[in-house]
Amino acid sequence: MSFALELKNVRAGYHDKPIFEDISFTVAAGEMTAILGPNGAGKTTLLRTLTGLLPPVGGEIRLFGEKLNRLPAAVRARLVGVVPQDLDTPMAFTVREMVMIGRTAALSRWSRPTAEDFKIIERSMVYTDVIDLQERPFSELSGGERQRAVIAMALAQQPKMLLMDEPTSHLDMNHGLEVMQIVERLNREQGLTVLMVSHDLNLAAAFCRRVLLIENGRLLADGPPATVLTEPILQQAYQCEVRVQNNPVSGSVVVTPVPRAWHDTTGAGRRIHVIAGGGAGEPILRALYLAGYTVTCGVLNQRDTDSDVATALGIECALEKPFSPISTAAMESGRALVQRAAMLVVSSVPFGPGNVINLELAEQAQAKGCPVFIRDDIESRDYTPDRQARSRTATLLTHGAQPWHDITDLMEKVRQCP
Amino acid sequence: MKTRWFWIILTLATPLIIWFCLIMGSTGFGFPDTATFSGKAILDLRISRVLCGLIVGAALSCAGVVFQAVLRNPLAEPYILGVSSGAGLGAAIAILTGLSTFSGFALPGAAFIAAALTLWLVFLLASDGQHAPSVYSLILSGVIISSIASSILMFMVSTASLEGVHSVLWWLLGNLQPASPRILQATGSVVIAGGIILWLMSRELNALTLGREMAHHLGIRSQLVITLALAMATLITAAAVGIAGLIGFVGLIVPHVMRHLVGPDHRRLIPASAIAGGLFLALCDAIARRVMAPIEIPVGVVTAICGGPFFLIILRLKRKQGWVAS
Repeated sequence: MSFALELKNVRAGYHDKPIFEDISFTVAAGEMTAILGPNGAGKTTLLRTLTGLLPPVGGEIRLFGEKLNRLPAAVRARLVGVVPQDLDTPMAFTVREMVMIGRTAALSRWSRPTAEDFKIIERSMVYTDVIDLQERPFSELSGGERQRAVIAMALAQQPKMLLMDEPTSHLDMNHGLEVMQIVERLNREQGLTVLMVSHDLNLAAAFCRRVLLIENGRLLADGPPATVLTEPILQQAYQCEVRVQNNPVSGSVVVTPVPRAWHDTTGAGRRIHVIAGGGAGEPILRALYLAGYTVTCGVLNQRDTDSDVATALGIECALEKPFSPISTAAMESGRALVQRAAMLVVSSVPFGPGNVINLELAEQAQAKGCPVFIRDDIESRDYTPDRQARSRTATLLTHGAQPWHDITDLMEKVRQCP
Repeated sequence: MKTRWFWIILTLATPLIIWFCLIMGSTGFGFPDTATFSGKAILDLRISRVLCGLIVGAALSCAGVVFQAVLRNPLAEPYILGVSSGAGLGAAIAILTGLSTFSGFALPGAAFIAAALTLWLVFLLASDGQHAPSVYSLILSGVIISSIASSILMFMVSTASLEGVHSVLWWLLGNLQPASPRILQATGSVVIAGGIILWLMSRELNALTLGREMAHHLGIRSQLVITLALAMATLITAAAVGIAGLIGFVGLIVPHVMRHLVGPDHRRLIPASAIAGGLFLALCDAIARRVMAPIEIPVGVVTAICGGPFFLIILRLKRKQGWVAS
């Protein structure tokens, strides 16, 4: 295997303040890799070191086997093309002229560009789909078009490797995706090695087969997105609670940060059990979770919308198999949760023969003396043949359960509960 | 090609303007009678004066183009690094010490050397010892050196005799009549050599307008190219200032106008600016010596008063945008 990039015990940084004390890794030719990490982790410093802008303090960097600091600038430009975060020029160059600037290192000082040069820039513009924009002034392009033109300029260098510095951070999701697809295609079809620094974990996970996570000037993890972008590793790197799920469309890893509850901490960890299902519990689960309650839920069917939300929030659930009536075993785990709960909420879940048994949990809670809150529109949600949901709710209400109307109302009542 | 018309017009206009400048005399229109000795001398004077205008105009415009590209600043002009103040001080020293009376080379020589010395000081002040200076520290130290040179100049003028003050002031206003053909030759050689070197650096200059870091990524030794380009531009400016004194406006505005007409690519921009800047200055000088004859008004006055509105119109037309306002 030939290496595009080798770092051996590299010490890098500014003047007397090294950001990286000792970092080593290799990138094989043809890889598509992302460097991820929080702000201030050293991503930009690393990229500046790799492009030769910032000479390393110690260690060795090799580009395609050649020592980086020994490479003449023009030779380096033919090995590596760089796509910056945002490129600006005060001059009104057309896109075509800009792409031709990419040939600077290859052109002779004494002659005009040859037919071959024109062919190369033409091909670069076709590949990045800016050929129709070639006579437009670069500065008048939109963010996405501009970034594609810059990639065309880098391709005109005919590099073996593309280094990108957060190429999509100024773009909306559609144009960000477009840029990544172009780069991914270059990687796949032309074997171009791609190394990108990114803030966008999800985009990197979707397109890169390998990610390097750096934190505080060291390599924290290295591997495929699925093994690096895990909750414990990300929580360590970003000091922030995250959830990792799979994208329902592409199956790639999706990382979602969990907002901290800054304002409402009235829950203070009090245990509250929610009877939910079919999406009825979703807003309640979220509101209670954010207010700082320790929420439990059940009994739910697996793959129910509410069970997905509960999983995402890290809520403990009593679960039954999908589309099955609730079994005794599932009920047992539900009872165990209710046993430890201080309050119980019945959401606006519709009741049918399969799940009406959940009301037993409410009765259990009431029997042990904990407050029960029931949504007040049971008439419209009772699909049991014998109308038992309605009658059981009525009984619960006469025994002291409190009806609630909307989520604000519910949160207020829950808060006032001793 | 949109720029083809520009080149056709420029090719046709060049001999026309030069001819026009040659027939403009302080005493009237028309070629002087070359049969007489004095007529021949007058024609010689006019030719060297027009040539001087072409050379100085070309030098200042080229330098302006380069300064604006490298510093990425639309307000940059050939005098931005303090070359003008340094040259002025050098000239004042030569005049007030009486050095200029010894040889025709003394005054332009002193101005040139002082200008070059100023540039060296600016670079020295701007660099931190390890790395080449950044654009901002260059501009800043240029301003500092320039103010110091101006203060010394003011001090010298305030203590000088009335005669000396008049000579210094007259030099500072700018005058395109070269003291001797040999000085014109020397200046011309420096400007042409410097101009060609800068033109050969066109591609690097194009890349540098994308910023120093991007130029680095494109395989350019940014530091070396920036230093060389600024040094060359200052050198031709110093040569121009040495022979003609301080002539403003040309080096700032001609590059902008040419960018509008031929676009920002330096392979076209540098020759276009050199030719157009030269013609513009020669024309302004012809007007300056004719309009209030026999009194000659400083050419710098004409460049700004006549050139200003004309160039404003061209910039307004926005046929091809040269500089992107941001």
